[in-house]
Amino acid sequence: MSPPNAKRRPGLLTTTLVLMRKDLLIEWRTRARLNALVFFAMATLLLFSFALGPDTKLLERNAGGYLWLAILFASVLSLGESFRVETENACLDGVRLAPADARAIFLSKALGNALLLLALGVLLVPVMVALYGVRIVTGLGDLASILVLGSLALSAPGTVYAAISSNARARDVLLPLLLFPLVIPALLSAAKGTTLVLQGDPMQQLGSWQGLLLGFNLIYWGVGFVLFPRVIED
Amino acid sequence: MNKFVKFGLPALTLALLGAGWWLGLAWAPPDREMGEVQRIMYVHVPLQWMAMMAMFINFVAAVTYLMRQSWKTDAMAEASAEVGLLFGTLGMITGSIWGRPTWGVYWSWDPRLTSEAILLVSYTGYLVLRRFVEDPEKRAVWSAVVAIIGAINLPIVWFSVRWWRSLHQVQSSPKTVDPQMVLPLRVSAFGMLALLIVFMVHRYRIALAERKAEVALPEALPTDDPALRASHSSKVA
Amino acid sequence: MTSLTSLMLLAQVGSGRLQGGWGYVWACYGISVAAFVLYSASLWARRPRATDSKE
Repeated sequence: MSPPNAKRRPGLLTTTLVLMRKDLLIEWRTRARLNALVFFAMATLLLFSFALGPDTKLLERNAGGYLWLAILFASVLSLGESFRVETENACLDGVRLAPADARAIFLSKALGNALLLLALGVLLVPVMVALYGVRIVTGLGDLASILVLGSLALSAPGTVYAAISSNARARDVLLPLLLFPLVIPALLSAAKGTTLVLQGDPMQQLGSWQGLLLGFNLIYWGVGFVLFPRVIED
Repeated sequence: MNKFVKFGLPALTLALLGAGWWLGLAWAPPDREMGEVQRIMYVHVPLQWMAMMAMFINFVAAVTYLMRQSWKTDAMAEASAEVGLLFGTLGMITGSIWGRPTWGVYWSWDPRLTSEAILLVSYTGYLVLRRFVEDPEKRAVWSAVVAIIGAINLPIVWFSVRWWRSLHQVQSSPKTVDPQMVLPLRVSAFGMLALLIVFMVHRYRIALAERKAEVALPEALPTDDPALRASHSSKVA
Repeated sequence: MTSLTSLMLLAQVGSGRLQGGWGYVWACYGISVAAFVLYSASLWARRPRATDSKE
């Protein structure tokens, strides 16, 4: 590539921010996705209490797990939708012809999805507190860190798999089938961490779960960053 | 396919598996604790080893495919995933039948069992993905990506489940096993290896033939437009 | 060291030996053999028949 062309080409970070702004703007104009996600997740939280009966002790003990299951189910919808928007008018091809770095597309999509899931989590926590009668014992900071790490952990591998399944047949079945076994470690540590935040952490185990989440994030953001360009290449 | 692979290897498989299982069922002594039930080991453990080997081959084939595209590695990945899933599923079934008399339950949430269940679900997803993508090149790239991510996931799952359960499975090392149990285990393992190779070779040939048929399809279909036909044949060539 | 830990383990487990259980053994071997036969049959049914794909 000739030097002037290379100079005019924006860097990875700039491209990422521009693309993310575009995605969030589309999202903000309709707010359809976030609204749908919030009500879907709230319905899920409500349904858990119906499915298990009015045993408050049981609900209180498992609140962390239910919160993360609701976020996980919502994330499947959100991830699928984030690529459906792009495939509708072959927008992804347009973005790639722009030419945007494929890795920037990954970062913007994954960060956008993580932001959406984080917003969802923040909105769900008060609902969970009200529905299940839990208290936040160890502090809001711990809960916030678990929410941030958990949303990031769900969205990095989720973005790669959503890009794959959005072009396949039966994508609505394929994405959960691929994603659920993969995010089990993230789900497990996020749910366990949230439970510790809600029930107290006498054994100081919270740090190791946060570490596991952090490691999961590092691995999958790295893997996604490297492999995503191969997924959307032609 | 040469004669040895076609006739010699299946014969060797039958001989080794027959000998290993005969040794295990009739010759080896019953276990001190588990009695006769322990004889399940001679089918369960080789199955698990070969499932692991097939999954490893799948990972290597996926990485190789992403480095240098070739239908051969793609066919190898498909063959190893399917055969690995068969062996892994059988390993899990025999394991839970073994668990019933020894632990009292068919299933326990110990790290090994849980990780294996997750692994099997991942490879089912991998094979489903292969079914659901028509374009052979995209299918190959995407399934390679999924295979690599799934393989990376395995150690993470293992550690996280171990922390989650915080109990340790006792592993038996060869030192604590009676030598009269080691011989049947070894023979059965080599028999199972031969069976794995037989299955893989045949599955690989099927996959390769399918790939070639898919790639050649535009040419084989009769088209009315001569210009289209010309462009297709030039693309293939 | 290994033998010591295994002895301690045996002491914990106790020395009660499982009696019988051949049914479980035969079930395992039977299921495996049946699955192998079925899979071989499926491989046979899917065998490549095109003449040009012969090596």
